[in-house]
Amino acid sequence: MAGRRVALKAIDWVAFAERVPPNQKSMFNALKTRSDGIAAKLSSLPETAAAIDWSYYRTAVAKAGMVDEFEKKFKALQIPEPVDTQTNAINSQEVEANKSATAYIEASKARVAEYEKRLAKFQNMIPFDQMTIEDLNDAFPETKLDKAKYPYWPHKPIADL
Amino acid sequence: MLSRLVFVSGNALKSSGALGAGLVQASRSLHTSSQSLAPVPPLPETGGKVRHGLFPEELFQLLYPKTGVTGPYMLGTGLLVYLLSKEIYVINHETFVAASIAAVVVYSIKKFGPSVAAFADKLNEEKVAKAQEVKDLAMASLAQGIENEKKEQWRVEGRSMLFDAKRNNVAMLLETNYRERLHMVTNEVKRRLDYQIALQDLHRRMEQEHMVNWVEKSVVSSITPQQEKESIAKCIADLKALAKTTQARA
Repeated sequence: MAGRRVALKAIDWVAFAERVPPNQKSMFNALKTRSDGIAAKLSSLPETAAAIDWSYYRTAVAKAGMVDEFEKKFKALQIPEPVDTQTNAINSQEVEANKSATAYIEASKARVAEYEKRLAKFQNMIPFDQMTIEDLNDAFPETKLDKAKYPYWPHKPIADL
Repeated sequence: MLSRLVFVSGNALKSSGALGAGLVQASRSLHTSSQSLAPVPPLPETGGKVRHGLFPEELFQLLYPKTGVTGPYMLGTGLLVYLLSKEIYVINHETFVAASIAAVVVYSIKKFGPSVAAFADKLNEEKVAKAQEVKDLAMASLAQGIENEKKEQWRVEGRSMLFDAKRNNVAMLLETNYRERLHMVTNEVKRRLDYQIALQDLHRRMEQEHMVNWVEKSVVSSITPQQEKESIAKCIADLKALAKTTQARA
């Protein structure tokens, strides 16, 4: 029996769980239970096959040569390793995910820059008790009274007072 | 305020330089230089100081070096006496009207001034507080937004873990499958060998039983009637003897 795959990477499930956003928690839980089930199944199976006591069988079985024949064939037998069909799919998924992730991070950074610009504008504002009405209109354009649309005081619909 | 300017500029011309502690307000020189003062300095908190509610403090400061503390009062009294005596100001009924109105006005301002001022200040403060609230809320939400974005970026960094988990699962499944096959082969071979052994045992046991049966049958069939009669007679004789001995004992 040849062939041993030991490519299992240790996964820190706790750290992984921290990074999962709340709306995907159920998917993460499903994945975890599935992985745990598979791992449990794997660990329940012993790694090598139980050894067959050939000498005992040689003495016990009366038919001549049968045991020897079996032994020879058994030792020569190569169990084929199962073919891995999914890893390529997973790798391509990963590449795609990386692409979309970088795009998302770019957009996120743009949003952060926008927020920080607005925040800086607020922080650099003069305090309200030193502002004139013109300063207020500059800082908060929505406070500007439309003197063209409502030419008479109070320059806004009465309902808005 | 214009009087203040007059006094101040007059003083500057005289260059007495004794403005000192009397000048409370920051001198706002408007349009004196070509450069514009931006941002415009804030308005002063209180108005200029006045004495007796009417006369700016600058007048007293102006006259102090020459005439001391009582100078402006003397000036005022002298001016008043001059106006009355020369009948430049004529006392008539209007004088009493003016005096009464002045008394009422002064009294009411002294009584209700502060509360009215407080009320107006409160109105203003409410406006400012509302605006401040809006500003604070906006700043807080922006900061929160930045936090959230950073958190999401951190979350995205962990995406490789998902694929590691998937690959692990695949590897584990393959390994499990391989082991199952291995065990299956071993078990099958063992089963066949055990079957052979069991078969052999069965054969031996069947042969044994058959032989025993055959021996028994042959023995039974070999007992001839003659022998049988003889053996039965011997049995009876033995029994009689036994009976006699037991009878004797009993």
